[in-house]
Amino acid sequence: MSRTYLLVTFLLLAAFGLAFAGGGQEAQKEAVKLTVWIHGADSFIGPNEQQKPQGEWYIAQAFQRFEQANPGVSVELVVPPDQTASHQNFNTAVLAGNAPDVANLWTGQPIYTRKDVIMPIDDLVPAADLKGIWGWESVRYNFDPKGTLLGYPAGQNQICFMMYNKAIVKKAGLDFEAAPPKTIKDFDAALAKIKASGKTPILVDEAAQGVPWFMAWVADYWWAQLTGNAQIIEQDAGKKKFADDKGLLAMLAYYRSLYTNGYFRPDLSTSNDSFSQFLQGNGAIWPAVPSFLADAEKTLGADVGVLLPPEFDASSKIRNSTIGGPGQSLVMPKNGKNPKVAVKLMSFLNSKAEYLESQKVNTYPTVRTDVTIQELGWKPASNIAKLGKVANTYNFWVDNLLRSPGPADVFYPQGALVAVGKMTPLQFAQEMDKSVPK
Amino acid sequence: MKKRRIVLQIVFSLLPVLLVLAVFRVYPIAVAVIKSFTNWDGLYRSDFIGLRNYVSFIQSGLFWMVLRNTLILLANVPLQVFAGLVVALLLYEKVKGWRVYRAVIYIPQIISAVIIGFLFKIFFGFNGPFNAVLRAVGLGRLAIEWFGNSYTALGVVIFAVVWFSIGWQAIVILGGMSAIPTSVFEAAVLDGASYWQRAFKIVVPMLVRVLEFCIIASGVWTLTQLFPFLYAMTRGGPGFETSTLDYMVYLKSFGLGFGSDYGMATAIAVLLLLLVLAFTLIEMRVANRADDWS
Amino acid sequence: MRGKLKGILVTLLLALMTISFLYPLYYMLANSLKTRADYFARPFALPGAPLQLANYATMISQFRILNLFKNSFVISALTVVLLLAAGTFASYVFAKYRFKGRSALYVAVMVTMFIPSQVTIIPLYVLFSRMGLVSTYWSVVLSYVALFLPECILLMTANFRGIIDELLEAAEIDGCGYFQKIWNVVLPMGRAAVFLSIIFYFITSWNDLFTPMIFLQSMEKRTVMVALATLMGRYTGAPTLQFAGLLLAAVPALAVYIVFQRQIIRGLSVGAIK
Repeated sequence: MSRTYLLVTFLLLAAFGLAFAGGGQEAQKEAVKLTVWIHGADSFIGPNEQQKPQGEWYIAQAFQRFEQANPGVSVELVVPPDQTASHQNFNTAVLAGNAPDVANLWTGQPIYTRKDVIMPIDDLVPAADLKGIWGWESVRYNFDPKGTLLGYPAGQNQICFMMYNKAIVKKAGLDFEAAPPKTIKDFDAALAKIKASGKTPILVDEAAQGVPWFMAWVADYWWAQLTGNAQIIEQDAGKKKFADDKGLLAMLAYYRSLYTNGYFRPDLSTSNDSFSQFLQGNGAIWPAVPSFLADAEKTLGADVGVLLPPEFDASSKIRNSTIGGPGQSLVMPKNGKNPKVAVKLMSFLNSKAEYLESQKVNTYPTVRTDVTIQELGWKPASNIAKLGKVANTYNFWVDNLLRSPGPADVFYPQGALVAVGKMTPLQFAQEMDKSVPK
Repeated sequence: MKKRRIVLQIVFSLLPVLLVLAVFRVYPIAVAVIKSFTNWDGLYRSDFIGLRNYVSFIQSGLFWMVLRNTLILLANVPLQVFAGLVVALLLYEKVKGWRVYRAVIYIPQIISAVIIGFLFKIFFGFNGPFNAVLRAVGLGRLAIEWFGNSYTALGVVIFAVVWFSIGWQAIVILGGMSAIPTSVFEAAVLDGASYWQRAFKIVVPMLVRVLEFCIIASGVWTLTQLFPFLYAMTRGGPGFETSTLDYMVYLKSFGLGFGSDYGMATAIAVLLLLLVLAFTLIEMRVANRADDWS
Repeated sequence: MRGKLKGILVTLLLALMTISFLYPLYYMLANSLKTRADYFARPFALPGAPLQLANYATMISQFRILNLFKNSFVISALTVVLLLAAGTFASYVFAKYRFKGRSALYVAVMVTMFIPSQVTIIPLYVLFSRMGLVSTYWSVVLSYVALFLPECILLMTANFRGIIDELLEAAEIDGCGYFQKIWNVVLPMGRAAVFLSIIFYFITSWNDLFTPMIFLQSMEKRTVMVALATLMGRYTGAPTLQFAGLLLAAVPALAVYIVFQRQIIRGLSVGAIK
């Protein structure tokens, strides 16, 4: 008993000591010190890097290289715990005057709606970068080609696709390598065959993580084909109605038909194990982004295939494409103290040399226009090379065109309701209209 | 002279608490209440818009669903107090293996809600173990998509919350029981009082104050802290069918994705506050103890 | 016969409960010993050879989880100490003194408990940044103390009111002053509430993610829960490493429970009934 108390007292004294000792530390005076938020796992930090000491991470070494090239500059890496919340944290930090010099946020509306707290970089971007990188539209205010530049598109060029199990598809009498479904009709026929073979055609969790993945990664491509990003942006701004958008309604009706035909797993609005089920060989197709390729190939080996979405409208201007593009951006706060050095760092991280360096640890398609697949050493027949080939023909993320508060707040939580029939396509579109801020 | 000393004792005992609360709770709450009449976006925009946040939330139809869900979830309070009481009595009477139970009972409180939520979601999944058992014993008709509609989903959430809280309730009640002289129990056992008689004729009357604390604390917890559970288990869905007031506060402030409507979030928080005040008043009435404090 | 059946039923129920409480720990342990691909493919299978003990080694040597423990410990311990220091005196006064405005004051203290912290976090952040406290332990500690005080006072007041007045009077006659009365009578008699508070608020602070995530922006000051949250990405992340970390982080919390719950039960283990 008394020993317990002694121990407790000792620990408490230690706690107080540490609390006060910690308060007095002053940051060392440097000529320029940049604090940089880089999110874990989805941008410059790969899923296999966090097992290593921080000094060995690609991004930490990139910062060291930047420090060496720019004497007098030091860069501090901060990994925020939750990227959704870090958008709000960024606002608050700017408001209080202690924001990082560079923050890693999402592209599109997530930064447009923050334009009051972001410093534009139009005058600071090297002209060569404007040519050397795809995806500037994702960081130009309102996707306007002449809009203010709010930051750099960064990190991965995530390309959406349908991952499929070659063995299951083969058993159903199909070959997606030789003859991938090109139209919606082909796609329906293929799904029917897979269903007849006794396997679930499409495994997906449409509500478990707050994002309807199939809708955002596959069906949105059809929406973009039918309606076009430009008009979706107008609808998001309330200039046109979602309810009048024939393309949206057609896309949603088809999405619903996939469910009623039994091509989706029946419990897609409550399930949370589709990736596991896919890896266990219990279904043919699973919508994905490149981040998942490595783990899937480790488990299913050569059975992993890559399928791009079929064309909904063969006469559309957008064809042979898919949803994708830079989903991550680098921006700086409007009260940042070192804008020039900060932009220099953004440019540095997006340089060809750095991209090739990062590919030594992480594999993903790039936003650089001047990198060839040969340079990367990707085997031409590999899944990643197939995705690399379409890296420049992507259609930018439709869900990043929707603002929050606004239509995004309907799209994300209620998308799955359309599939299961709790909401009609028209009701869904009307809800999106209602949510547009006045 | 003595009176002055007592006054000083009262003042200096309460002062630190009042100071801390005034600066770190009341001030931010006051800011929030004021912001509930504005269109604050968490940044610079903050125009006075009167009751518009309240009116539009109440008119949205979402309000009634969310309010209903909040009230349904309150049903977990009597259940968790009851379950905690039963377990506390068993521990008190040292059933076989009580040391093991006592050691494990608090584990759920220590585990991240994300993991608890994930496991419950799998367990009650359409193809999960629970439905597998139902199908195996020939009750396949009952094997439904438990999270697929608001009532059964809320039922599962209540079950999960009770499971999570048994340990908390049990140790609070055990703490209260430590003040009851054991002779009272011994006499009751000698008189041949059954387990339920001992529970309701002896323990409950002597623990009125502790049980009152259990009810208020878990009630407030249900109303204001349920967010992590709902987030992990249902994401407030399908749609908004399992969202509660405090869940909406989170969605509107920290966002479904990346945006925030702080004005609205604070208005919902004020509505929640009004609801809790009503809840507390009722509780005090029911316990008929309001006069105790006059 | 009926009694025996009932006994079996009770044992069965308690056993089921115990298994369900232990299962999440087992789940974390099993998956922390797998590779990530293995976990994604078979989250409910036993870990296959070779066991990925590296996750634990990484947690301790690279992730430096013990350093993170230090941050969490400082925050949780300070929270509990300040909470008890402020709460004990206030609860004693609320429980045993009669004065004008007491019930109004008490209700006022309680009301602050009913506002979710999401809506107060921004004003608080701005306040702390003006005080220069952002990214210090104090920002988190002070907001916890303010957040938990009402409930803590509710618990202690309920408990202290049960202390017999004669005991306090006797102490006074023996020449005990205000502090001595609290030390010699109130705390020993109200020990259950004190130890319950230690358990509740230490563990709640230890496990909380929201407040430290927003206030502690420098990597060195982070709590263990905030650091572990960085392992979760939207797409893949490092879940098996996270499981290892969560399991390690559960150990101190569980230890606090085990140590202090003994103190609560001590009072009643004098003469147990068979």
